[in-house]
Amino acid sequence: MSAPRPYNLVAELTYRCPLRCAYCSNPLDYREVRDGLDAEAWGRVLHQAADLGVVHVGLTGGEPTLHPGLEAIVAAAREVGIYAHLVTAGTTLDAEGLAALKRAGLRSVQLSLQDSVASSGDEIAGVPAFDAKLRFARQVRSEGLALVLNFVVHRRNIARVKPMIELAWRLDAERIEIANVQYHGWAERNRAALLPSEEQVRHAAEVVSGARSIRRRPEVVFVLADYLADRPKPCMGGWGRRTLVVAPDGVVLPCHEARSLPGLEFWSADERPLAECWSDAPGMNAYRGEAWMRDPCRTCPERGRDFGGCRCQAFRLTGEAAEADPACALAPGHARVRDARGAADLPAPELVLRGGDPRASRER
Amino acid sequence: MSPAGSGASDPTPWSEAEFEARLRRVGEERYHHRHPFNRRMHEGTLTREEIRSWVRNRYYYQTRIPIKDGLILAKSSDPAFRRTWMRRIQDHDGAKPGEGGLELWLSLGEAVGLDREAVADASGVLPGVRAACDDYVAFVESHDLLESVASSLTELFAPNLMQGRIAAFEAHYPWVETSGLDYFRSRVRQASDDSTHGLAFVLANARTRSDQERCVAALERKCEILWRLLDAVEEAHAPPRISRHAQLRENVGETMVVLPERAVEVNESGREILALCDGKRSSAQIAAAVARRHPEASGVEADVHDFLDRMTALGVIVRGSGA
Repeated sequence: MSAPRPYNLVAELTYRCPLRCAYCSNPLDYREVRDGLDAEAWGRVLHQAADLGVVHVGLTGGEPTLHPGLEAIVAAAREVGIYAHLVTAGTTLDAEGLAALKRAGLRSVQLSLQDSVASSGDEIAGVPAFDAKLRFARQVRSEGLALVLNFVVHRRNIARVKPMIELAWRLDAERIEIANVQYHGWAERNRAALLPSEEQVRHAAEVVSGARSIRRRPEVVFVLADYLADRPKPCMGGWGRRTLVVAPDGVVLPCHEARSLPGLEFWSADERPLAECWSDAPGMNAYRGEAWMRDPCRTCPERGRDFGGCRCQAFRLTGEAAEADPACALAPGHARVRDARGAADLPAPELVLRGGDPRASRER
Repeated sequence: MSPAGSGASDPTPWSEAEFEARLRRVGEERYHHRHPFNRRMHEGTLTREEIRSWVRNRYYYQTRIPIKDGLILAKSSDPAFRRTWMRRIQDHDGAKPGEGGLELWLSLGEAVGLDREAVADASGVLPGVRAACDDYVAFVESHDLLESVASSLTELFAPNLMQGRIAAFEAHYPWVETSGLDYFRSRVRQASDDSTHGLAFVLANARTRSDQERCVAALERKCEILWRLLDAVEEAHAPPRISRHAQLRENVGETMVVLPERAVEVNESGREILALCDGKRSSAQIAAAVARRHPEASGVEADVHDFLDRMTALGVIVRGSGA
C-alpha cells in the first residue's frame, strides 16, 4: 500500500528522565532501549523527514535535554524548515542552555506541570521540581518562545483545574492542555490510583468551558481519557498516517508504545532510509488503513474518524491488537473499561513511581 | 489635591459663562465621540464582532455607574441634592427587576446576538476596560463632591452622541433589532436632565478659580477614562498580523501554518487573506480588499471575517502587541 504523508515527527531522543512520574507513558522496560542516535544521526533523520513532508518535530523523551546533541538537532530541524518544539520537564536546562537552543532555532516549548501547587505536584513527580518548573516557564517567555503548558490530571489533582488555568494565564502560555492521564506505560500500572470519577471529570470539563468563555486565548485543550469517553480517540490520528515516532534507538514506530505489541517488525532509521521504515516496515503496515479491521469497526460509519482507536489498548485489554478498542461503547470488550471506571469510586491504592533512573544526570 | 479655599494668590475666577464654555470645550476636544472606534461605529464600518465586543465590554462601565452615583450621594449632606441625584441610580437599576438602564443594556446585548448571562456576569470584559472603569470608581471615591459631580458632566455631551448613535445603528447595522436601541433613546432625555442638574451644581459651587480648575481637570480625567475604554476595545480588534509563533510554509500547491503541536492547512483563499495580515490593514480593510479582487463572488467579506476569526482562535493571527 502507498503510505500517507506524515506531518509530525515525534523524536524521542532518550528515555532517561530525572522525574519519576507515576503516569509516565514510556515503556515499563524503558531501560532496555539504548540511546542509539547521536546528533548527526538525528540530523539525517530530520533531513529525510522533511523530504517525506514532515513540518513539525516534537523533541521529546524521557527528558530530551539530557541528549548531549540537542542543540545540533534543533539546528538541523531549522536547516530543513521543520518547526522545532521541545517537550521538557523543565528541570534540567538553565537560562543559558535555553538561550542557546533559541539561537539554534527552537520555536516553542511544552512544559509539563504536575499541579497548580508545589506539594502535590512534587508528590506525583517523585522529586521536588515544581519551583524550578515555574522559573523555567518564565525563562521560556522571556526568550520569546511560545509556551505550551501541559497539566496532567488524575483523581488527586483534577479538582484544581481552575487554579491550573489561572497559573497558565499568569505564565502567559500560548496553549494550555488539561490532559487526563492516558492509561499506558506506568499509568496503566497505577490506573486504580489515578482514574478520576465521572463526576470529577464532568466538573473539570465545566471549569474548562467556563475559562474558555472568559478568555478566548490562549486555547485550552481538554483531553479526555479514553476510559471516560464513549468513543475511542483517533489514536495518533490513525496508525502510520500523520505522525511518525522515532524511538531513542532509531526504531521507527506509529506510536511510542507500538513496540509493546507482539509479533510486529519495525525497522531502524539508523539502518535504512526513513522513507522505507515509514512505508514498508511490516509493523507500520499492520494496522494502516482499514483492511485489518474486524467487527464492529469494519462497517462502522465512524471508522474514518477514529480509525478504530488505539491498537495498544485493544491488545492490553483483550489480548488481541486487531480487536475494537474497548474504550468504544460498541466494542465487545467495553465491559472492562466500565469496570475500571467503577474502581474510581473505591479508595485509591498507593502510587508506584516510575523506577528511579541512575542514568538521568545531564551529560554535557 | 489642592484645598477648595481661596488663597490670596488665587487668580480671579472665570465668569460663569467662561467656566461653562471651558467645561464644554473639554467635551468638544476630549469626549469619546472623537475616538476612532466611535467614529467608525457611527460611520457604519464596525464589524459585527466589534459591535458585540463593544456592547459586552461597555456593560461593565454601565454596572459601575450606580456604584459611582452611590458614592457621590454619600458625599452630600443636602437632602435636595440627594433627592435629585438618587434618580440616576433608579434610572440605571429600575424601580423593580426587569426595568432600568442596566436591563435595557442587556436587551441591547441580546439584540446584537450576545448571550444575556455572559454579558451580565461581565466575565469576558477586557482587562483594559475593567481597569479604566475601576479607575473611575476609584476617582470618585477619593475626590470631593464638587470634583465627583464635575466628572459626571460628560452627560452634557451624551444626548447628541446618543441621537447620532441611534441614527447610525438604524442606517448601518440593520441586523440589530431596533428595540435593542431603547437604552440610547432613554438616555437622550435622562442625560439632558442629569447634566442640567449637575452643571447647575458645579457652576454654583465652584466659587474660586482653583475650584473651577479642579472641575475642568476632573472632567478631563473622566473623558480620558471613556477614551481608554474604547482604546482597549479597539486594541482587541487591532489590525491582524501573523503570530511570531507561527511558521508559514508555502510549497507547490499547498500553504500550511505550523504552530506548537499543530499544523493548519490553508487553501488558496486563506493564503490570500493571510498575505494581507501585515499588522497595518484592519480586518475591514482586508475583507474589502479581498472582495474587490473577487467581484464575481458574494458574501466574501463575511467569509474573510469568519476566516480571520478562526485563525485568531487558533493563534495563527494576533493583534496589538501580543505574540
